Amino acid sequence: MPSEITVLFFSFAADRMNTREKTYELPQPLSVKEFFQQYLYPSLKEPLESWLFSVNEEWVDPHYALQPGDELAVVPPVSGG
Amino acid sequence: MDYYLITEDPINLAEALSMIDDPSTGAQAIFLGTVRNEFEGRASLGLYYDVYPPMAQSQIRKIGEALKEEFDIRHVVIIHRIGELPVGAASVLVAVSAPHREQAFAAAKAGIDRVKQQVPIWKKEHWADGSSQWHDEPEGTKESK
Repeated sequence: MPSEITVLFFSFAADRMNTREKTYELPQPLSVKEFFQQYLYPSLKEPLESWLFSVNEEWVDPHYALQPGDELAVVPPVSGG
Repeated sequence: MDYYLITEDPINLAEALSMIDDPSTGAQAIFLGTVRNEFEGRASLGLYYDVYPPMAQSQIRKIGEALKEEFDIRHVVIIHRIGELPVGAASVLVAVSAPHREQAFAAAKAGIDRVKQQVPIWKKEHWADGSSQWHDEPEGTKESK
């Protein structure tokens, strides 16, 4: 069953994706890692290990299984301060 | 009291100091980060700070709560300003009060170190030559927008 997720982008990732928020329709269940590899690479060409991911404002492992309605944030290396 | 804030408004130092004030403490340590006029030798006009607001807000709270568990401090205030900031503006404040100075200094240092490592905030340098560049973009176009 198709499911829809919302993905948030920040910093240079938002520049490269030309958006800060985008909805994706997933035809089958995917992990964060699989979603990244199938939908975001190579627009975001840095390896998976370069990114942090959160779902619904909690940090998740790349093996997290995305659920319908999830809000996934793709978080580049931070540089605040 | 303890206080955590991500804001576009200027950081109010006097207000932060009043929040950590406590007659049982003999030491207040304040770290204030300000926008510099250069980065790695290249002249800069200021910074733009991008943020993931709900995560940043919850992360600075977690950092503050951990500091209170690990150090003998009474109060902690962490404020990070975001948006467009000119050279000289204060971008981040970590303020703690403690019975003694050793714990105050140590907690303030750990606090700012963790803010820089753990809070989803990103800065873009506005170079004096008119170009801009995100910090920590691993590779690729260093001359975005």
